[in-house]
Amino acid sequence: MNATSEHPSLPASGGSEGTVNLAVAHRLEAERLIQWFGLSEIMPREEFPCFEDGEGLSLVVTGSGAERAAAGVRYLHGRRLGSAWLNIGIAGHGSAAVGTGLLIHRIARRETGKRFWPPAPGLKLPGGSLITVSEAETEYAEDAAYDMEAAGFFAAASRLVTPDLINVYKIISDNPAHPLAGFRRGQVPSLFGARESEIRSLVAHLRERGARFAHWRSLPAEYRQLLEKYHFSVTRKAALGKLCRRFTALGMGPRLTVLVSKRYHSAGALMAALEGELAGALPVGGKDSNEPAF
Amino acid sequence: MFSAIYFESAVRDHPRTRAILRRYRDLPQIECERYSEIFNRKSQNFRLQKENPALILARKHGRKVLPAPGGYGFDAAGSHYFSHMLNCIYDCRYCFLQGMYRSAHCVLFVNYEDFADAIERTLSGSALPKEDAHPRYSQHTYSQDTHVPTRTDEASRGAEQVFYSGYDCDSLAFEPASGFAEFFVPWFAARPRAVLELRTKSTQIGGLLKHGPIPNCIIAMSFTTAAAAARWEHGVPAIDKRLAALRRLQEAGWSVALRFEPLMPDTNPDACRELFELVFSRLDSRWLHSVSIGLFRMPADYFRNTLKLYPDEALFARETRTRNGVTSLRHPNEEAWLRQIETALFRHIDPKNYYRCADGETDREN
Ligand code: SF4
Repeated sequence: MNATSEHPSLPASGGSEGTVNLAVAHRLEAERLIQWFGLSEIMPREEFPCFEDGEGLSLVVTGSGAERAAAGVRYLHGRRLGSAWLNIGIAGHGSAAVGTGLLIHRIARRETGKRFWPPAPGLKLPGGSLITVSEAETEYAEDAAYDMEAAGFFAAASRLVTPDLINVYKIISDNPAHPLAGFRRGQVPSLFGARESEIRSLVAHLRERGARFAHWRSLPAEYRQLLEKYHFSVTRKAALGKLCRRFTALGMGPRLTVLVSKRYHSAGALMAALEGELAGALPVGGKDSNEPAF
Repeated sequence: MFSAIYFESAVRDHPRTRAILRRYRDLPQIECERYSEIFNRKSQNFRLQKENPALILARKHGRKVLPAPGGYGFDAAGSHYFSHMLNCIYDCRYCFLQGMYRSAHCVLFVNYEDFADAIERTLSGSALPKEDAHPRYSQHTYSQDTHVPTRTDEASRGAEQVFYSGYDCDSLAFEPASGFAEFFVPWFAARPRAVLELRTKSTQIGGLLKHGPIPNCIIAMSFTTAAAAARWEHGVPAIDKRLAALRRLQEAGWSVALRFEPLMPDTNPDACRELFELVFSRLDSRWLHSVSIGLFRMPADYFRNTLKLYPDEALFARETRTRNGVTSLRHPNEEAWLRQIETALFRHIDPKNYYRCADGETDREN
């Protein structure tokens, strides 16, 4: 479904634990984020500057434009696996006041007409539509935000993770009353500063959601131990993962541990033993376990 | 309940849209061209979306009334279903909807008048060809059933057609906002030869009570044992509350039906006995329209999708069997177990009013 399960840095025992990848267009947009989240630069610096906190939060500075944003997303994905993605940046707007923070619900790419629909997370943040343009917008014809990256970001990120874990947040920097011509780049950190709590809550939300998602799909430690002990074909490896998950789902983890400690003459014999153990198994300790079976 | 409201431009000015947007004025309201831009897109994750579902208001295009599958409680020749809503505000872990859609958002088709026109056309004789009928799944039961004739059949023979609501949603759960029954009950009241069956687990019966009973509308409510309800039915009204609602309906003269489903294979017949005692201490079994029992079953591809969503869920980690494209949970002695449960049920009801939605053979196991 998404590429996380194939990522080279994915541990055999499961998925990323609530990792969030941030993407910004410019270094000035990264400044406050680096400070708030204690990010340090990932070395060596390559095509795109990247930062991380060592606890699952990473950031890429993509540069300007939809294509650069998409390339930056792919690049960071190659270095740090994110279970969720967030694009943050400044944007113009047809009517919203400078400094307004908007959680984007609808992205339209002007060049292609393609639309994207980031999820509404129910955080009660002000929301709005956004148009991704290829040249800086000075007309502000529509009652929407204007940026140059979000459509490229969203298209690229949704090839890596489910779109239900991708958000876009924009802070309004210019509008018809305060056109772009009068905007100074040095204002960016203070615009971000005024939206600190919203950004923090969005990052926390994605971290929690991403962690839950990773947890649902995680495999027990016994799976990794078995991979080390026996040789499995690709198909059998997938089947082994399913069997191990069934043990944990049924509350039979301790029984799996016992089976792992035994010695079987082949991977096939082990799989047969696991299957035999699961035949007719019912959940252990569930709410209906006080109902005698059959 | 919802994280946002999306609405199609085409229904922006529809009175139902306007009323719902007013009702949810504090939520983000987002305009789209077609609901399919947001609903059921590739790589969407039902389980994640179920944490923050949105409501999508849309216009239903294309066929609005479809043939009900053979043996779905009524004579198939005159049975149809229609879905004014896709997905449900409740979250039953066994629900097939989570395997059917990639999206957990609720889509409400606000053009009830077009559904009514389509029903009218069906009634007036442009009957749907029977070969169009395809197996459908109620939220609880696979519907190619062992069928015992019921009073319903007699009713349906007298009537021209039967129309089911509640395949792709719960018929009444969203009633305060949708006004679905409020619209359709009077509509059916004026067409006494058409029968409407509302499938539900909801206690939102205010609209029905306000209108007063009509002989050609049946409220069919589903129940599982207390333990199963506590474990698998998230957000669903408690059994007691459902029974209280049914009792009020029965006292008001409405025709009510009982669906004991989906039965899980580790359900102890004693737990069913307890449930039956409770149910029939509250309801007058003489006035029940019909009663059925159904096992947990799901189309195999929906089951596979559901398992991918909930690999950590005990319900789906049990042994399964797949037969004719339908996956169910294995029971070592299913027929005897079911008969025990039916015997307990027949202490309360006339077997003539009963049908079983069951599937007793095994041809593939996993
Ligand atoms: S009430 Fe019915 S439709 Fe709704 S979630 Fe439960 S089983 Fe599904």
